[in-house]
Amino acid sequence: MDNILEVKNLCKKYQGFELKNVNIALPKGTIMGFIGENGAGKTTTIKAILDIIKEYTGEIKIFGLDNRKDEKEIKENIGIVLDDIFFPEILTPNDINNIMKNIYKDWDSELYFKYLTNFTFPNNKAIKTLSKGMRKKLEIVVAISHHPKLLILDEPTAGLDPVARNEVIDIFQNFIQNEECSIFLSSHITTDLEHIADYITFINKGNIILSKTREELLEDYGIVKCTKEEFDKIDKKDFIKYKENKYEYEVLIENRKLFNKKYDVSTIDKITLEELMVLMIKGEK
Amino acid sequence: MLGFIKKDLLMIKSNIKIFAILLLIYIVMAFQGQMDLSFLLPFMSVMIMMSTFSYDSYNKWDAYAISIPDGRKNSVKAKYLATIILIILTTIIITILSFIISYTKTNIIDFENIVGTIFGSVFATILLQSLIYPAMYKFGPEKARIGLMTIIFCIAIVGGLIVKYVDLSQIIKFLNFIGEYWIIVFSTTMISILYISYKISKRVYLKKEF
Repeated sequence: MDNILEVKNLCKKYQGFELKNVNIALPKGTIMGFIGENGAGKTTTIKAILDIIKEYTGEIKIFGLDNRKDEKEIKENIGIVLDDIFFPEILTPNDINNIMKNIYKDWDSELYFKYLTNFTFPNNKAIKTLSKGMRKKLEIVVAISHHPKLLILDEPTAGLDPVARNEVIDIFQNFIQNEECSIFLSSHITTDLEHIADYITFINKGNIILSKTREELLEDYGIVKCTKEEFDKIDKKDFIKYKENKYEYEVLIENRKLFNKKYDVSTIDKITLEELMVLMIKGEK
Repeated sequence: MLGFIKKDLLMIKSNIKIFAILLLIYIVMAFQGQMDLSFLLPFMSVMIMMSTFSYDSYNKWDAYAISIPDGRKNSVKAKYLATIILIILTTIIITILSFIISYTKTNIIDFENIVGTIFGSVFATILLQSLIYPAMYKFGPEKARIGLMTIIFCIAIVGGLIVKYVDLSQIIKFLNFIGEYWIIVFSTTMISILYISYKISKRVYLKKEF
């Protein structure tokens, strides 16, 4: 399967933080959810992919092209939503159309206004008068109105109410109907990713600690809830992390079926991405 | 490129009411003889363009600009071109106003004096903006604004000291020497200063992380 985005051995050093050999491969026609706690390196990785930050090492290829050498061609074909980064807030949606039609070759004013009408946008009102949710929707509409092949989205659903989140997720699902298109999105709202992501990549303290398909994670991985006595019988190599709670142990395992065959424990649940994140970060080995 | 220039011009248009009110106050004061119109051009141009830098910075526009096609290449160039467009427009407005005020007050149009004054204003505007833009890109609008105040303060002190302690006859000799060529000399100097400023800003921008 062709990869639309490939990141190989990406390293970037700041004082007190480092991205260490980040590797990402996003196949065509799929959605990858990029998760991790605040400060884990999600935005830094996205900024390196977009060449916003400098002095990083490693190789980044988008559509098989080098992200620095073939910058213009790449950026014509990607749509972006960045956390808290957008047009100056005194501009209006109409102004944005006026600007973007002179920036993107394939800017589609008709599509842009069609989305704005669907979202009942006031086209002549300054961005600063829009609610946070409306502003985010505008950012997403701007990102998709030049028919990009890849969407790179940093926290696109942050600040949206459940209804608006649902509308946005519908847009993403429509976008991905074209098998040539892909989405790479970072999000704290892991429930959204459980619905739409084909792949989940987990970054912690600048390291990619896990990258799997959603099915592998949500079907195979599990969380064992057991007593101390039961936990003491589990071999260290049979679990990934554990967390000691007041009345029970939560143990993260990689394969529920295999574990069930080997151990006699009362509860093995499917895991949610949120539980996975908490156990991977807060759990012990 | 056109999209980036439009962005700056549309931002100026969004604040046009505020600038129009300021302009009106200034015109009234100029008619009453309380203010010289030559101050208006540098004052308005610098203020208007600094407001665009502030909005850019507040919404982290530069990071967004770099993520869209040719953003890193065109963003700075567009800011300088928008500045030139703004200077041309404000110069036209101020020239017309100067003719009207001159005619209203004296019934004659002192063409030579007005053109000389406007030219001096344009020179001051370009000099000021050429100094401030690289600082804007390097340090951001907040710090650069303090820098601008410092520059104006230093220019005023140095100017005062020159007038007081330096023999100005050499400067007058030089001005007499360039005589009728002063427009060419000043125009070349203006363009050179602006070009050098653009090159510095571009260099800063290309290396900057957002």
